Amino acid sequence: MIKYVIRRLMMLFPVMVGVIFLVFFIISLTPGDVATIILGDGATEERIKDLREELGLDDPLIVQYGNYMIDLVQGDMGKSYSTGLSVAGEIKQRFPNTFKLTITAIFLSVLISIPIGVISATRQYSIFDNIGMIVALIGISMPSFWTGLILIILFSLKLGWFPSGGMKGIMSLILPAFTLAIASTASITRTTRSSMLEVIRQDYITTAKAKGVSRRSVINKHALKNALIPAVTVIGLEFGVLLGGAVLTETVFSWPGIGRLMVESIQRKDTPMVLGCVIVFALSFSIVNLIIDILYAFIDPRIKSNYS
Amino acid sequence: MKGTVLKVENLAVRYVTEDGIVQAVNGIDISVEKGSTLGLVGETGAGKTTTALSVLRLIPDPPGEVVSGKIELDGKALMELPESKMEKIRGGLVSMIFQDPMTALNPVLKVGDQIAEAIKIHQQLSQDKALQKAREMLEMVGIPGARMNEYPHQFSGGMKQRVVIAIALSCSPKLLIADEPTTALDVTIQAQVLELMKELKEKMDMAMIMITHDLGVVAEVCDNVAIMYAGRIVEQGTLEEIFNNTKHPYTEGLFLSIPNIDDRKAELKPIRGLMSDPFNLPPGCSFCDRCDYAMDKCATEKPEKVHFSPDHFVECHLYPDNKEFQLKGGKG
Amino acid sequence: MSDRTLSRKMIPATKKRSQALDVWKRLRKSNSAIAGLILIFIFLCLAVFAPLIADYENDALKMNIIERLQSPGADHWFGTDEMGRDIFARIVYGTRISLFVGVISVSIALTLGGTLGAIAGYYGGKIDNIIMRTLDVLLAIPTILLAITIVAALGASILNLMIAVGISNIPGFARVVRAAVLSIKDQEFIEAARAIGSRDHTIILKHVLPNSMAPIIVFATLKVASAIMATASLSFIGLGIQPPTPEWGSMLAGGRAYIRDNMYIVLYPGLAIVLTVLSLNLIGDGLRDALDPKLK
Ligand SMILES: Nc1ncnc2c1ncn2[C@@H]1O[C@H](COP(=O)(O)OP(=O)(O)O)[C@@H](O)[C@H]1O
Ligand code: SF4
Ligand SMILES: [Mg+2]
Repeated sequence: MIKYVIRRLMMLFPVMVGVIFLVFFIISLTPGDVATIILGDGATEERIKDLREELGLDDPLIVQYGNYMIDLVQGDMGKSYSTGLSVAGEIKQRFPNTFKLTITAIFLSVLISIPIGVISATRQYSIFDNIGMIVALIGISMPSFWTGLILIILFSLKLGWFPSGGMKGIMSLILPAFTLAIASTASITRTTRSSMLEVIRQDYITTAKAKGVSRRSVINKHALKNALIPAVTVIGLEFGVLLGGAVLTETVFSWPGIGRLMVESIQRKDTPMVLGCVIVFALSFSIVNLIIDILYAFIDPRIKSNYS
Repeated sequence: MKGTVLKVENLAVRYVTEDGIVQAVNGIDISVEKGSTLGLVGETGAGKTTTALSVLRLIPDPPGEVVSGKIELDGKALMELPESKMEKIRGGLVSMIFQDPMTALNPVLKVGDQIAEAIKIHQQLSQDKALQKAREMLEMVGIPGARMNEYPHQFSGGMKQRVVIAIALSCSPKLLIADEPTTALDVTIQAQVLELMKELKEKMDMAMIMITHDLGVVAEVCDNVAIMYAGRIVEQGTLEEIFNNTKHPYTEGLFLSIPNIDDRKAELKPIRGLMSDPFNLPPGCSFCDRCDYAMDKCATEKPEKVHFSPDHFVECHLYPDNKEFQLKGGKG
Repeated sequence: MSDRTLSRKMIPATKKRSQALDVWKRLRKSNSAIAGLILIFIFLCLAVFAPLIADYENDALKMNIIERLQSPGADHWFGTDEMGRDIFARIVYGTRISLFVGVISVSIALTLGGTLGAIAGYYGGKIDNIIMRTLDVLLAIPTILLAITIVAALGASILNLMIAVGISNIPGFARVVRAAVLSIKDQEFIEAARAIGSRDHTIILKHVLPNSMAPIIVFATLKVASAIMATASLSFIGLGIQPPTPEWGSMLAGGRAYIRDNMYIVLYPGLAIVLTVLSLNLIGDGLRDALDPKLK
């Protein structure tokens, strides 16, 4: 088991190095001179030249990347072009807010989707199943920023139950978390249902029934654990979607997380900040997938024994 | 005679699918005496598994539908029982062993727990006691008790089938239905598993339905034999009657298509053609288009049962008018 | 030999035709797939006949401060926006952009990702390994974030938007095509083609891909839906189609400030997104079930 975790961790490194390089490269494509952007159009040639030197902008890209990596392992992500503050510091301050939002959303999703998926599968083609699946498909088809606006109109502006934005207390968390959770809920529900349908026609389910196991425990004990294996994979993938969705949801609800920070930074052409945000997003996504893979091994003994 | 364990009357089952209706079982009667073994023989698609699942009332619904039939197990009319009572019977009074041991065990549960589960359900034992009994069962089928904490993927095919047997026998059922228990196994393992089943059957004094398409297996373990074709039992009798007084052309065909140990030079003669389209069974005898003896009325009229002894009957147009008729090639 | 090769090669062709018919028959039975087809047909009509339905210059583009923020009524079915433009007209012209960007960006992803996936699947071994490990890097960045990053760097324009959404979908297509190719490359008729000396790219294009189309079509349909969603998302945060061009996502962004009193201003453009995406999802689901009936 430990071996498995270590192996998975080792796989994380090359991917992250690649990710950072890729993002670094993409962002370097930004047109316009960084020094001019920072100093403004009125700056003298002299000052621009000094700044270019200071930031290492005249070095080849690969050298710039190397320097960035060296700083990064020391926890330094550079300084914001627009405020001059430390990128790492800013992100450290904002990250917990995004974490709070996404974790709440994924918990909501799992809590809602697994039972609905299971019930739908065990009553395939019933009214519950049919309505559930239509709602799920609509859920997948709704853009989160629109859902957010509609929820604000209904529950905040019309009913006044929740604040329409900002981050003040638990009440302000509910609408954005729910908005963010909708699409994931829908898609985890669909996966749970279809893997459950797949599992309940397996031979070992018939074996269990032939032993005299009750319907209920055939589902809860024999089928569910097997059906969870694909569901867990999707939960991991959905977390990526959720992180992407956080950018939009945070914008709609003025939630002070790194999603909104990223959008603001893009508008200000603050590349170090954008770079930092994307790296943190990708790293979170990779770590979640690592956790998912470990969880996997707990559910599926076939994986566990391969590495014990 | 010690009395009957299982009596099936006029069982008919169909599957309603998008592509049409499969008439899988079309009005069959079976009875199994206490302590005896009935061989249910027929090629793939004959309806053997469907028959077996009907006895446990485990036909998948949808698409399966039991159209008619009475099933009496140990004096209980199963068709009328509520599901909760049926759960007590499955794995208790009657157990089943499935064809493919590779898929018959739950991959995420320990084998010991899978055996103990049946014991807990039917014998109201504590978890500890049930696990203890599971260990004994595992040892009885020839697997070291220490392996009960392992998962199915750590076992070979033959050992998995032993585990399945342990599960099936854990509550001393009166009837064991074995659905091609050795088909998926290596030849060498087949003999071992078969031997084990025979031994345990004697020891526990149960009745058994052995589903197979292997006449060698039949000769080895069965007392009575029912030959199934396209959802009908076309010939039934004692082992002796079926082997030495073969009446149905299909039965004869089965014998001619296997190598004969006594006469190795004898030519193998597989039955020509394929089984009739299960979506569209012919109006007359289902075997008609493959039968070397077919007559005009075979295509239009369903043959009736003809009895040769209280146990031995055949469904074929060759006999009602001429009971002395002898098939050409068989052993008769 | 040549004879046998020929007859072998003919099998998949005939099988494919009857399979397509089967698929259509099953698809026709699915109410939801039909609903999806009808919906998308309506949107296609809106896109094609937009000039017959509304006047681009006068209704969809021109500011008209006097008529701003009017509620839906006979003159303006869906009301007017903060600049007095007719929301219905803007939605109609928005359909053009959404469908266009959705289809083109998926085509980009399909071409590039598909090529990579086909090569990886067909040759296997080292090549496969290198391609797939590289794509793992792309996959480690959530799709929409990758697209945002690319547009942020390249600048907001329709072309860059399509490039961004296209590139961010490359890994997905590579995986699907690779799996499809793997499942078919060892079948007899492929070996037969190899035996008569066909060249690799001929085999891939003429034999492997046509026979592994089913999962790819399903995936592409679903991805057009998500590309449309991504387009709207990017435009919403100001990185996609720039105002005043009518685009659903940027209409939502523009109307955001006025939702307190004029909820219709975000209601209808949003509904347009939902219905388009929904219709494609319905079709994709229906196709998948029709192609693989046992999974239903
Ligand atoms: N779940 C099912 N759905 C549809 N048809 C089925 C199903 N199970 C069995 N059948 C059909 O019923 C017929 C009898 O099958 P089965 O009882 O499995 O035969 P056997 O065990 O003798 O091979 C076959 O034609 C088979 O295709
Ligand atoms: S009834 Fe006719 S076709 Fe059927 S087995 Fe007898 S002879 Fe053959
Ligand atoms: Mg069978």
